[in-house]
Amino acid sequence: MHSLRATLRRLLHAVLLGLVGAGIVHIIVLLLVPEFSERDAWSRLSMASDLYRMNRLDAEAGGAPVVKSVDPLFYATACRFDLDEGMVRIKAPGNVPFWSVSVYDRNGHNVYSFNDHTATDGKLDAVVLTPAQMIDVRRDLPEDLQGAVFVEAPIGEGIFVIRSFVPDESWKQIVSRFLDQSSCELQDF
Amino acid sequence: MLKNAFLMLISLAIAIGGGGASVWYALKIQDGVGAIRIGQWTAFPDIGTPAADPYSKARVAREGVLALGRAEGLSFVAENDAAGDQLKRECTYRIEGGFPTARFWTLYAADQSLGVVETGKSRLAALQSYEVLRQSDNSVIISVSHHPMPGNWLLTDGSGRMYFVLTFYDTPIASSTGLSDVALPRIVRLGCDA
Repeated sequence: MHSLRATLRRLLHAVLLGLVGAGIVHIIVLLLVPEFSERDAWSRLSMASDLYRMNRLDAEAGGAPVVKSVDPLFYATACRFDLDEGMVRIKAPGNVPFWSVSVYDRNGHNVYSFNDHTATDGKLDAVVLTPAQMIDVRRDLPEDLQGAVFVEAPIGEGIFVIRSFVPDESWKQIVSRFLDQSSCELQDF
Repeated sequence: MLKNAFLMLISLAIAIGGGGASVWYALKIQDGVGAIRIGQWTAFPDIGTPAADPYSKARVAREGVLALGRAEGLSFVAENDAAGDQLKRECTYRIEGGFPTARFWTLYAADQSLGVVETGKSRLAALQSYEVLRQSDNSVIISVSHHPMPGNWLLTDGSGRMYFVLTFYDTPIASSTGLSDVALPRIVRLGCDA
């Protein structure tokens, strides 16, 4: 009788210890998921294309979308960049009903976003750079960068996404062309 | 000795199994930490930002999401109707009411993975605010059905669970202070195909 109770107590002790351990494991796993995920946006994009290469996110361009672009009434395109190599300039010609832009860090967190109301004449012309590069640029702003939107982001690697609204069938071609002609280039300075 | 080893094994199994499974479950369920609920609609204004909680961050990493930024818009997802029942693709719904201030909004019917419902036709299971007809008080009535409906018709197809995704673009409600007194449309079930 006495030994049975002792065994039960030890079993209970083991289970309680296990539950406390489960809590600790829960926290550790949760914090490690972003570090080790191979399914995050950066990894998916890097399988599809190189740095500084625009890559359509919607199914319109053929094949399954790389990163799910959620809204069916939107087209989107993305490029990966690395600010350690220099600042990056994104341009897209033409006028579309609505475009918006987001800059993400390596983990897919949105660090900055703006839309066509922010830009000069609604033209998409943006430069992403680090605060240190911004100081250099401020000192002597090149002529052709005067109309650009400067996005100061304290990141190294990152993702740039352009989203554009397709109100109806007739806009599909125009919006497609807008995104296909967009460029994502390392800017010399 | 053997008994001790056995007890330790139990502890370890509970710790690792329970810990792993609870993370998996927490990431799988639709609503979680950081959700804002307005009527039947749920939004995660912080998801995809550096200020997000660890659960949202893990979800972003696992699903490869690139969430909308504050200047872009804010998405709301509905999985139940006003009576609290799950939305079904074979049912007919009426979505009615006023919409908060935004440059425009889009509404679409989605499947489990929040991708748009395949209709098998050239008409998308999606509507946007520039093409809808409005009532005299500026509210909107949308009919969601397999069958053609008068007024604003959102086409759906198939059967099983359905979600509605309502996204407002370039909207002041995306800044969290604007979210406190926002009213969103009601979802009412009208009937179901047998």
